[in-house]
Amino acid sequence: MELKSVKDAFDRVATKQKLSYSKTHEIFHMLSQEIEKALSILQESPPSETLLDHRSILSDVKKMFTEIAPISQLEAAEKELQVALNKYPKVLEKQLNPDISKAYRNNAEFDTHIVNQIIANFFYRQGMFEIGDCFVAETGESECSTRQCFMEMYQILEAMKRRDLGPALNWAVSNSDKLKQARSDLEMKLHSLHFLEIAQGKNSKEAINYARKHIATFADSCLPEIQKLMCSLLWNRKLDKSPYSEFLSPALWNNAVKELTRQYCNLLGESSESPLSITVTAGTQALPVLLKYMNVMANKKLDWQTIEQLPVDAKLSEEYQFHSVFVCPVSKEQSSDENPPMMMSCGHVLCKQTINKMSKNGSKSSFKCPYCPTDVDISRCRQLHF
Amino acid sequence: MEIDPVTTGNADTVMTETAATITPSPAVPSCRLNQLTESLKLEHQLLRVPFEHYKKTIRANHRSFEKEVSSVVSGIGDLANSDCSKEVAVSRLTSLVSRLQGLKRKLEEGSNVENLQAQRCRARIDHLDSADVENMTEWNNTKLKRILVDYMLRMSYFETASMLSESSNIVDLVDIDIFREAKKVIDALKNREVASALIWCADNKSRLKKSKSKFEFQLRLQEFIELVRADTPGSYKQAIVYARKHLAPWGATHMNELQHVLATLAFKSTTECPKYKVLFELRQWDVLVNQFKQEFCKLYGMTMEPLLNIYLQAGLSALKTPYGFEEGCTKEDPLSQESFRKLASPLPFSKQHHSKLVCYISRELMDTENPPQVLPNGYVYSTKALKEMAEKNGGKITCPRTGFVCNDTELVKAYIS
Ligand SMILES: [Zn+2]
Ligand SMILES: [Zn+2]
Repeated sequence: MELKSVKDAFDRVATKQKLSYSKTHEIFHMLSQEIEKALSILQESPPSETLLDHRSILSDVKKMFTEIAPISQLEAAEKELQVALNKYPKVLEKQLNPDISKAYRNNAEFDTHIVNQIIANFFYRQGMFEIGDCFVAETGESECSTRQCFMEMYQILEAMKRRDLGPALNWAVSNSDKLKQARSDLEMKLHSLHFLEIAQGKNSKEAINYARKHIATFADSCLPEIQKLMCSLLWNRKLDKSPYSEFLSPALWNNAVKELTRQYCNLLGESSESPLSITVTAGTQALPVLLKYMNVMANKKLDWQTIEQLPVDAKLSEEYQFHSVFVCPVSKEQSSDENPPMMMSCGHVLCKQTINKMSKNGSKSSFKCPYCPTDVDISRCRQLHF
Repeated sequence: MEIDPVTTGNADTVMTETAATITPSPAVPSCRLNQLTESLKLEHQLLRVPFEHYKKTIRANHRSFEKEVSSVVSGIGDLANSDCSKEVAVSRLTSLVSRLQGLKRKLEEGSNVENLQAQRCRARIDHLDSADVENMTEWNNTKLKRILVDYMLRMSYFETASMLSESSNIVDLVDIDIFREAKKVIDALKNREVASALIWCADNKSRLKKSKSKFEFQLRLQEFIELVRADTPGSYKQAIVYARKHLAPWGATHMNELQHVLATLAFKSTTECPKYKVLFELRQWDVLVNQFKQEFCKLYGMTMEPLLNIYLQAGLSALKTPYGFEEGCTKEDPLSQESFRKLASPLPFSKQHHSKLVCYISRELMDTENPPQVLPNGYVYSTKALKEMAEKNGGKITCPRTGFVCNDTELVKAYIS
């Protein structure tokens, strides 16, 4: 896309608009000057003048007006502006996609209540409580069940911003089992931060006590970290010049905040990123692909309203790949429970149907791998679980 | 690059398999840049709407000046042709001078409004210009808020729309003022008044004509039906007079509809005839509201649907996989949420041309950098995650999904093309 040509086209509009403005201004000025001139002659002339004299003055003004031809001047000024005004939308249509609803399914109307609930949840999820409340009130939707939970989460995060770990630790300790189940090291992360805070308060003894009481229990899973933490005490007066300067990095806090948000949301049954923003961003990535396809396929009769699978790969970026998808390199089919991925003895993977085909439904006990020269023994093919 | 685990010397059959493991495009800047450029092309409405507004103002100003100037010109002409006294001439001329002065002020004010609208057009171009690969997250956040404001405006949630756009500093990027203009008409139609809709039609006459809109005709028909509905002694006569004046001119292009509606004169609003009963239903006013919304969107170059619906549909389809509907699906997938599943249910599933495997343990992509390894039980995890597990447990691997235990020496690499 050429944003520059859009800018240029708009500059032309703006320039012509200024020109048209000054032309109009000039015309108004000329007209009032003529009238004022006539007025002053009339007013200065002695009262004894005859009717004819003031009539001739008036007809002079009329003549002048005809000569100035203000209307046609105005029209001429506008004409140039019109050209620029008509051109700009054409440039927009050329450089941008004038109709992004071409790949829209009209028969899949959304339920407004669901959409509104999703939006309300989004505001609370982002900590925009005032706007969320306003939205719920204006739409008349029922109160969002997650509001209170997110409120608590933001209170914890706010406290962390003030470097107060109390609420965060309280929450992590009381959800300790669930966090372990989710393989999260959040509790350890928070305790380490607290330990470092104490140690930097120049109180090594208190820090050691804290470590004994709260950190030692993580020896099973986090021994290397514990070793580093304890060793850092040797430099606690000049940590910045020690091998442990990383402990001063704000990234440590940012990571803890991120992990807490993630775990808090997960325990709520929510994703750590707002699902609305994930979906809209995915839409932003998918739309250009879908629209391009619709343009190419404009003549082919594809019933967009009824297809059950998109005809193209929307090519979402990696972070939106939430599941393993196996596509058989031979049949190009996505694997399924009925047609699972199978690994051959050489390590290459095909789908079960393809393997059946290559072995003529098992009538041949071996066949050649399509990707390497191995003779594949059917009995040694194994189903994979991604 | 991976070399095949088994190769024989048979030159005829050797298919040199390079990059045997999965090969996703790594986050190459050029690919991201392309994605960004493509996504900016979706922003037609963002630039078009304020421009249509600007154009409308320029045209209206111009028209009113033209009218004023020609009336000044003809004022002078009339004066010159009349037999008025000198005193009258002086007073007329004086009033023309002050009229011209008033016009200058009006020109000034009009130009200020035009300049503000031009600034808004520019602010939006600059906003598109400000997007780059580095600030995509932030830019997308702003985009989502713009899309939400658009949704709220179309749904007439003005209070939240203003609040969100002010608190997010995006007032210049959304069209609240334009939608307020629409709201007046919509509110009036909901009160079963056509007057402001008719004024709107008159304001936009030439453009509506160009797009062959019959909205005004529909408004007139509705007014006619209301006269028939009134069912008072005078109302039928009124209805006929009204029809002659306002409906007959549409006969040339919309004769069938005209005949159809005029036949209501023969029925009463209490008619049971289904074809005519529907014309008397109050629901017709909602039809008019929707009709107006469509005409309005078309006039400003907006999509008919809220942007949110368009983006959500595309996004939901692109994310929709059979896995998202399974029990125990990762919570990170929006389609693990009941509300998103409901919205997605009538939409098509996504399609992938190439395998993309995500490690169950680390949620990382399994690619050439981090290839998939197979446990003896057929379960697959990423090399990195298994290595980490083995290091912590002295080489012992426990399958997190089945509890199966094996040694890290028993792992086999899978090759996925
Ligand atoms: Zn296959
Ligand atoms: Zn092979």
